[in-house]
Parts: sequence; C-alpha cells; structure tokens
Amino acid sequence: MRGNDVILENLSMSFGDFVAVRPTDLKINAGEFFSILGPSGCGKTTILRMISGFLNPTHGRVVIGDKDMSGIRANARPTALIFQNLALFPLMSVRDNIAFGLEARGISKKVRHQKAEELLDLVALDGQGDKLPTALSGGQRQRVAIARALAVEPSVLLLDEPLSALDLKLRQHMRAELKDLQRKTGVTFIYITHDQGEALTMSDRVAVMNKGVVEQVATSDEIYAHPKTPFVASFVGEQNIFKGKVVGKENGYAILETSQGKLFGQNAHGLNEGEEAILFVRPERMSLEEKQGQQNGLSAVLERRDMEGPFVNLHMRAGDQSIAIHVTNVEQTHQPLGADQKLWFAAQDAVVMRPGELASE
Amino acid sequence: MTATLANHTETAQRKSPIDWAAAILNGYLLIFFAYMFLPMIFMVVAAFNASPTPSVIDWQGFTLEWFRALPQDQRFIDGLIHSLIIALGVIVISIPLGLAGALLLTRLQSQATTFLYTVLVSPMLTPGIVLGATTLIFWRDAFGVEGGLLTATIAQSSFIASYCMLMFMARLQRQDIVQEEAALDLGASSFLVFRRITLPFLMPTILTAAAIAFLQSIENYNTTFFAIGPSWTLVTEIGSRMRFGISPVINVIGVLFVAITIIAATVYVMASRRKGRA
Repeated sequence: MRGNDVILENLSMSFGDFVAVRPTDLKINAGEFFSILGPSGCGKTTILRMISGFLNPTHGRVVIGDKDMSGIRANARPTALIFQNLALFPLMSVRDNIAFGLEARGISKKVRHQKAEELLDLVALDGQGDKLPTALSGGQRQRVAIARALAVEPSVLLLDEPLSALDLKLRQHMRAELKDLQRKTGVTFIYITHDQGEALTMSDRVAVMNKGVVEQVATSDEIYAHPKTPFVASFVGEQNIFKGKVVGKENGYAILETSQGKLFGQNAHGLNEGEEAILFVRPERMSLEEKQGQQNGLSAVLERRDMEGPFVNLHMRAGDQSIAIHVTNVEQTHQPLGADQKLWFAAQDAVVMRPGELASE
Repeated sequence: MTATLANHTETAQRKSPIDWAAAILNGYLLIFFAYMFLPMIFMVVAAFNASPTPSVIDWQGFTLEWFRALPQDQRFIDGLIHSLIIALGVIVISIPLGLAGALLLTRLQSQATTFLYTVLVSPMLTPGIVLGATTLIFWRDAFGVEGGLLTATIAQSSFIASYCMLMFMARLQRQDIVQEEAALDLGASSFLVFRRITLPFLMPTILTAAAIAFLQSIENYNTTFFAIGPSWTLVTEIGSRMRFGISPVINVIGVLFVAITIIAATVYVMASRRKGRA
C-alpha cells in the first residue's frame, strides 16, 4: 500500500444559498496523517465527502496523485471512507465485510478470504472472521471498519470522526492504534474530527476550519503555540482572553491597555497604536510566582480549585475578568478560596490579535 | 406505608364488591370470540352433516360424503388450480413493481414524490369492480386479449402491488442509507450494492409481502370476477354457485382452508421459536 497526495484546488460547495465550504486550496502530502479539525457544521465532512466522491463540488476540483477526480464516482476513486457510524454490513460475517471491496473487484472467494485473514491479523482480530459484526465490541467493530477500508488498498483513507462513539479509554487507545497503522501502511490518512485531542495527538498536520473556511494549516505544535486567528486560538486548547486597546509598541511586542492594566504580548500581526485588540495567554503559561522575564503581573481572587491529579486548575477572578491557571501539583498554591493571589506571565507567551470570531464555549 | 396501602385496598374493595371493569372486559371478549368462531364452528359441523343443504340444526347423521364429493367436482378443482396460478402470477408481478415504487418514493428527493405516492396508492382505494372491469376492457380493446387468467392476474396485481409497495416503504425507511454508501465507496457497482446490501435487508419483507399477496389474491372476488371473463377461480366458482343454493361441499372447502391455516400458523410459530432459541 502506498499513499498519494491529495490536492484541493479552489474547492467550494454550496447547498442552495448555504455555503458549506468556501473556496479552499489545500495540499495533503502522500503518506501524511492529516486532520481537519473544527466544530460541527464547519464544513469538514463536506470536504471529506467531496474527496470521496459522494458530493460534487460547486466549484474547483479534487486531485489525487496527479489525477483529476472530477466526474469520477465514489466507487472508482482510490479512496476508502470510514464512516462515523462505521456502516458495517450487519448481515455479513466479519470476513465477508472485510472482503467486500475485493468481491466488488471480482476477486475469487479463495483469494479474498485469504486477504481478509491477513487484514484480520493486521488489526489483531484473528479468529473472529466468522462472527457477525453485532457480536463484536465497539473497539473490535472499529477495527473491522478499518480492515474493510484497507482491503481495497486505497491510497487515501478518509476517516469521519470514527472514534466518537467509543468511550474515553478506548478512544485514547485507538488513537495510538490508528497512528501506528498509518505508519505501517504508509497510506495518506485524512481524519475529520471536532476533538482537538485526537487531531493534535495523531496528526502530522492539522487544518482548523470554521464556517466553511480553513483558518490555519500547520503542525500540532505550531497550531497550539502560534495560532493565526482568534478562532484557532480559542478553539484549540484553553485560553485566557484579555480585551483592550493597543497603546504602544516595542521590539515586536504590543502594549495593551486592559481592565487589568497594561499587558504585553507578541505583536505577530503588526497591530498599530489605537487599534482594538485581544491578548491570548494559555493557562499553563501563567504562574503564581514571578519568574525572570515575566513583565505581566496581575492580581486576582482564587474562586475555585479543581484538583486533576498531576496538575491543578485554578479559577480566578479579577473584576469582570475570569482567569484560569494550570499549575503542576508541585507548584500549586494552598491558599484558601477567596484569597488574593498574584499572577505572572511573560510577554513572549502571550499573543495579540485583532478582534475576530471566537470559538463559543 | 404498608398501613395506608392496606387501607386503600380495603376501601376499594368495599366500594365495588364486583369488579365491573373485569366483568365487562370478559363479557366483551366472550362476545368477540363467539362472533369470530361460532360461524366457523357451524360451518365445520355442517360439513359432516348428511343433510344436502348445510345445516347444524337439521342433523341427519354423520357423513364424510361431502369430502368424497369435492375431488370429483372438476370445476372446483380447476378453480383451485386457477387460483394458485393467479396467486403465483400476482406475486411475480407485485413484488418487483411494489419494490420499484417503494425505492423510487423513498429515494427520490423531489416535489413530485407526494403526487407519485398518491398515484401509486390509488389502486387500493379504487373499487375492485372498477379495477376488474377496466382491466378486462383495456386488454381486450388494446391488445385483443380476452378475459381469463392473465387479465385476472394483472387486475389483482394492480392493487396488490400497492400493498407490497407500502410494506417495502416501511422497511426502506428504516434502512441505514450509509451502508449503501459504504458499499459504493468500496468499489461496488450499483447492481452489487442492490444485490448484496439492499436485497438481503429487504428479504424478510419480500417473504412477508409475497405471503400477503398470495392470500389477497386467493381470497379476492370483486376484481377477479369482473376481470376473468369466462374462466373462474375457486372463489368466483363458490360465488356463482351460491345463486343456486349452497352445497355442503363448500363447507368442506372452508374446513380444509381453516385446517391449512391452523397448520401453517402452528408450523410458522414453532419454526420462529426454534430460530429465536438458536
């Protein structure tokens, strides 16, 4: 099995007056684990269905491995789709499920059953071929769906939130399994999810989508550390959000006048004095003791302490501004609730952006 | 808590020494079953009465004479064969037609769907006489086909196909369409998707629809009577003999049908129980 690259050229999709996907250009590399992350209704599934051939784009085209897919039906594309509800065939045995794609290609029963056994082996389901899908557990059904898709040796595997029906433990386990499988097979994976944890842990690169627009495409680290838009910043991970006005600039930093006084942050978007702005800083970037180089200091009242085990979430309030801090269990405060607390963060850990749409809670 | 409960039951008992609700329900059931089964019992008993007109009161002695008379009555035997031929023909026509209509109506996303539904269901609401007579006239005038088993089959199918369609629609509405997409995505042709995914899913309904089509066809009188021309089925034969007074041989046919039904139902229930246990 070998992966192919997938290129979306000016791809867009409208349903009547509703624009599901605005013109999008995207290149997904061969053998890449690529995720499209976004809230429900952002257009990610529409993109997936256009790649798989179930939807014809309103404009633009999909190119897979140098071949234009326009006019090619789903059953003739080199893609395989893993559906959200898996869509296993309930009346067929696990073996026949896996071999179905080969049956469609007119391959003899003997050969396709042999291939099915190999795939059962690959997904650690050996000996389960005679069972009906309903006799398997959730995780096993998941693996049957993957084996069934891999049986046709697709160069691109499309996954539509396939883990959403599983419980947390299994979901985390399946993440590792999927990543492992992708590396083993070398197939290009395009993974659709609204779960940032899944996207960040598994992907080589992530595209964050909102309202039909791809807002940023980058590695997980990059998306998390350097979000490009307020939506990406607020959708991926947690953020403390301070609103204010730029009152000064120095060495690539912007100085914001906020309800908490002057705050410094990276001026990556080149805001000018007088502009309205938002400053984002992640809860784990804040500390309870001043460290070297932390220009920003605040004081707040401790409202709630959520003990998570290895780390502790502290919820604070300063006037109408709520602030969250994640500290390790070792660094945490033992102050009582209601106590005043000083907080610190460095200017380089904060990002200043022009106001824009934020992800709703 | 226990005390209040006991009190409550006591007052309830004192209020109504007779449980009227239960009494009315039992009485109703008694009348219901009598209404259903008394005529049948009369019919069966009369089949064994030596009296030449079917009767229970005028008992002239036990006989199996009428059972012997039935196989010698060639018109009845032919009628039965005609009925079976028509019923099989009706199944062969109605199942594909009903299925096609149901697939169209459940899959077609169109403004015309409601209109189409009305058209396809309308034969069920049309009087049987009209269906029978129009079929007879149409096939005679348009194709020169005289009334007979073929026209009767077609006339019956026109409304039995609608019944089948409604049954298929009910089944198809419960289908997870994603399964067909999954099969297509794996490279299957539309035909393979239908054969391996849709058809197996529909199979239980196909069997039920075939059974219902069979029964509807066998017992049909109105449509058949007007469409069949000079030929006859068991039911139209019984109908026409009624005009000259009825013979206990007809009771015998009734007894046989009841017996076959009871045996078939018993076998079906036992078979499905065994399947349920496996």
